[in-house]
This record gives sequence, C-alpha cells and structure tokens, in this order.
Amino acid sequence: MKKSIKAGIFFVTLLAAPILLTSLAIDIRSFDHEGFTRVVFEAERSFSYAVQNRPDQLEVRTPGRVELRTQSLAVQNSPLLERVTQAYQEGQSIFTVFFKGPVVVKKNFVLEKPFRVVFDLMKGEKPAAAMQKSPESDKKEAVPAQESPPPALSRPKPIETICIDAGHGGEDLGAIGRSKLQEKNVTLQISLKLKKLIESRTGLRVIMTRNKDSEVSLNTRASIANNQRAQMFISIHANSSFRKSAYGSETFFVSLQATDQESLELAQKENQNLEDPGEAIKNDELKMILWNMAQTEHVRESSKLAEYIQNELNELLGTRNRGVKQAPFRVLMRTAMPAVLIETAFISNASEERKLQSEEFLDKIAFAIYNGVSKFIYYYNNLLK
Amino acid sequence: MTKKTRMVLALSVGALIIILLLALLLLRKKAPGYEPELRNRAVDRGTDIAEFIKVKLFFFSETSVYLQPIYREIEVPVIREELYKKFVALLLAGDGGHVTPVPAGVQLRSLYFLSAKEMLVLDFNDQLSGDFPGGTTAELEFIYFMVDNLCYNFREIKKVKFLIGGNENKSLAGHIDLEKPFFPNFDWLQGE
Repeated sequence: MKKSIKAGIFFVTLLAAPILLTSLAIDIRSFDHEGFTRVVFEAERSFSYAVQNRPDQLEVRTPGRVELRTQSLAVQNSPLLERVTQAYQEGQSIFTVFFKGPVVVKKNFVLEKPFRVVFDLMKGEKPAAAMQKSPESDKKEAVPAQESPPPALSRPKPIETICIDAGHGGEDLGAIGRSKLQEKNVTLQISLKLKKLIESRTGLRVIMTRNKDSEVSLNTRASIANNQRAQMFISIHANSSFRKSAYGSETFFVSLQATDQESLELAQKENQNLEDPGEAIKNDELKMILWNMAQTEHVRESSKLAEYIQNELNELLGTRNRGVKQAPFRVLMRTAMPAVLIETAFISNASEERKLQSEEFLDKIAFAIYNGVSKFIYYYNNLLK
Repeated sequence: MTKKTRMVLALSVGALIIILLLALLLLRKKAPGYEPELRNRAVDRGTDIAEFIKVKLFFFSETSVYLQPIYREIEVPVIREELYKKFVALLLAGDGGHVTPVPAGVQLRSLYFLSAKEMLVLDFNDQLSGDFPGGTTAELEFIYFMVDNLCYNFREIKKVKFLIGGNENKSLAGHIDLEKPFFPNFDWLQGE
C-alpha cells in the first residue's frame, strides 16, 4: 500500500514537473494608435502579475525568473514610451516601462490564446496644467461631449459620486401602461426620491443624467457619468412584457458576450498589425471597441451592486423576485464604473401599474434602492482598506 | 524501481487516463439543437412530390416565462434562405394559443445568411421600432424568440443580427444594444 502511495506521488510529480520547471518566456511589444499606445506582454502560458503605476513609469512584476523572447527592449519613435528595462529582485522579475512624460493607464486587460497582458496608455496631464482653466471653459455649458472616451483608470478611491439615470424622457416615453401611465415619469419620480435619500443620509455627491422631462441619448447618459467621475451608475426603469401577466422586479448588470468576441477578434488583428502593416485596422474601429468595453473591468462589482439592490427590493416591495440578470444594455456598456439597471415593476401589468401610481410604492422602491446602494458602498470602501 | 512499483505506476497511468476520458465525456455539454425531420409527400400540384421539414417552434405563454414548443411543417424550397424566410414568416404569424412577442404589423423586409460569419441578418420594417411597446423584458422576449428559434432549428446559424428598415439600430426601445449580433440563449426554451 505504502509503495503504491509512493508510486502515486512519484507519478503526480512526474506529471507536474514539466509545468513547474518550464521557465516563463515573455515577449514585450508596443504599438502606437491614434490617441493611445498599446503595450503587450505576451507569453505561451498564463502568468500572475502585479502592476505598480506612476505618472512616469509602469512597473510589472511577475514571480520567478523570466526569459525575454525578444532580444531588445528598445522602443522606437514612440510618442509616449522612453524605454523598457528588466530586472530581477527578491525572486521577482520586474519590467519597467519608462514614459517620456506623464502617462495614465487607460485600460489593462488580459487576452487568451496566446496569453497577453495588455496596457493601453494615454498621455496624462501635468499637474500644474490640469489646475489651469481656460477662459473658454467657463463659458461652455455643462453639457458633456457625446462619445467622449471613458476616464483613465486611476487608483480606486472611496465612493464620493453616484450617478442616477432616470430612464427615457422627452419624446421617448418608455413603456406605457393600460391606464396611460408613462415610464419616463415613473423613472424620474423614483430617481429624484433616491437622489434626496442618498444626499440627505450619506452626504455623497449625486448627479443625474436628467432631472426634468428631457430627452437624453443613451451614449450621453454614459458620458455624463464618465465625465463627472461617478463611481456608481444606477439606471432606473419600469418594465414591460408581451405577457401581460408578467410581474415583479429585477436588477440587471451588463453581459459582454458579443464584446468579448470582438475583443478576441481585435486581439488577432493586433497581432496582424505588427506583422503586416497592410492589415492595420482602422483606429476609429479600435477606439470604438475600447469604448464599448468600458464596463468590462467593473462587471464583478456591478454584479455585487445588483445583488445588494435586488435583495432589498425583494424584502421591501414584497413583489415577485425575478432576480439578478445579465443583458447587453447599451447604456451600461459604456460606463466605466459599477453600473446596474433596475426594472422596478411591470407597467404592462395592470396591478403593478396601479402600484406605480402610488407615492407610497415609489417611496418604498427608492428606499430599497438606497439600502442596496448603502450596503454596496460599505462593501466597496472596505475592499479599498 | 521494483517490478511491483512499475506495475503500480503503469496501473495508475491507465486509471488516470480512463478517469480523464470519463470526466471529459461527462463534462461535454450536449449542444442544444434540433434536426428538422425531412418528409417527402405529394402536394396538390399534379404529380409533384415535395419535400417538407418538421420544425419545432417556440412561443411564449401567459402562464410560463419559458418558450413553449409546437411543431409545424414547411415545404423545403430550393434556396436555403427561402426556407429561413418561411420559418420567420411562421414565427411572425404566431400561434393562436400562445403569446407572440412581436408588435402587430411587423414584417420581414429581407434576410441574408453570411456563411463565413455563420450569421443570419434579419431586416424588419420600421413598425418593429415604431410600434415596439417598450420595456427591457419585451425587448429580450422579441430578440431571443427570434434568435433561439432560428439557431435551434438551423444549426448552421450561430448568431443573428437585426436591422430595421435596412439600417442598424441602437436599440429597439432604449435598452438592449441592437448593433451587435446575438448568440442564442437556450435558457429561454422550456425543457432544453
């Protein structure tokens, strides 16, 4: 028996040996796109890494000795990158990308087949310049530019700003109930109640994508949240179904199935770019894909936020729990922060339409969402400690 | 290494391979889908023998959140895309006892299959967005009613893209991103 155990251990070790002994070989390359520079660390297998980001350099650490596949770390004619160095300290390989000026990491994501760690870098602002305001800037209206890029990533900080998005508005009435109740009015009422609750009870800054009956495009809603550096996005809606009997509340966060596929296709193109400039993709297309992926880094937190809110809705409303779900919402995809869309009740259901006309029911909804948001803030801020 | 250890080692390798193969077999998820049944039968056109296929259509009901199956027969045309058109026409026509998640007056303008992308493009008339009742659930109901039915019955279709009036639309009623193609989500189908 003992012999068979020994033989088993020997066998497992034999199997594991090639994995344990294979040294990691990394290829580092960079490519300049219009408006940003992409740095890619590529390896034949996945590897763990830690990132330390400063305005003047990006440091990537990975355990063990790493072999460089490319002979040179030189960076040629890059508007952002100065050079890349490699070092080995205390059992870790350290790659440092030095910048020519202040640079921010706009995106950091991982691609598979082959395994790649990708950093998209953008020119950052000098601190002094950032403080200065041009006289023209004061004259401009506070309306955010449409299609503006998502904000550059920075170290996460405790939640200070929340964006509430009252669904539909203006000529976009949203769903309409049998007794002509309009979704756009319900969402605005709940949103204003929620804003009041959050501001009065937490002192946090709350911004609204609309605070009156006005039409705001889906892209502009996301832009408002991104430009105002909101750290949470809550979109409020009332639901409708072809099945008149459908009822209950549900909370959604984004699903990125199609976007994931696009990112894979983009990754393949990224390789072609380096090998065959004739196959270079259009910068606009690339920028659009990145913009569409703004939510990718926040999906886990969005799921948690959805869970907290849905639990509170179940408890306070006593309606049918339709649960937390995922779908490719246009307004959520472009937000660069934890983001959810709440379908409070079915306006297409006669009984729930009546409830949505009651001030008391709307108060309950706002309070349930507020409770969920409070719990998420506590959870999120604790993560940062 | 003794003869006994070598034997144990060989047995361990054999056992491990068998376990891995079994695990692979068990973990392999059966791809949902339906192979429409082909039937030959005479039609009222003299002596013609036409080919028919039996398709499985899914509709909503008021009592269930899932799509319910019913069977219909379609005469098989020479061109594959014409078969898809007939199939979509059945979906749009609906079924008396079930809920059809399509606004009244919606018609298919055209349809084409991009075989390299395994993608079916459906182009509906303007009534689709103009008369859409709104609501996230209604949007999802329409989208997956079309996508699941098509991908379930025709395995060569892996994804479906929607156009309205010949153009890409941002969404049907302000929720779901309609510019990207949709992969099936068979969780909507009852018993599949």
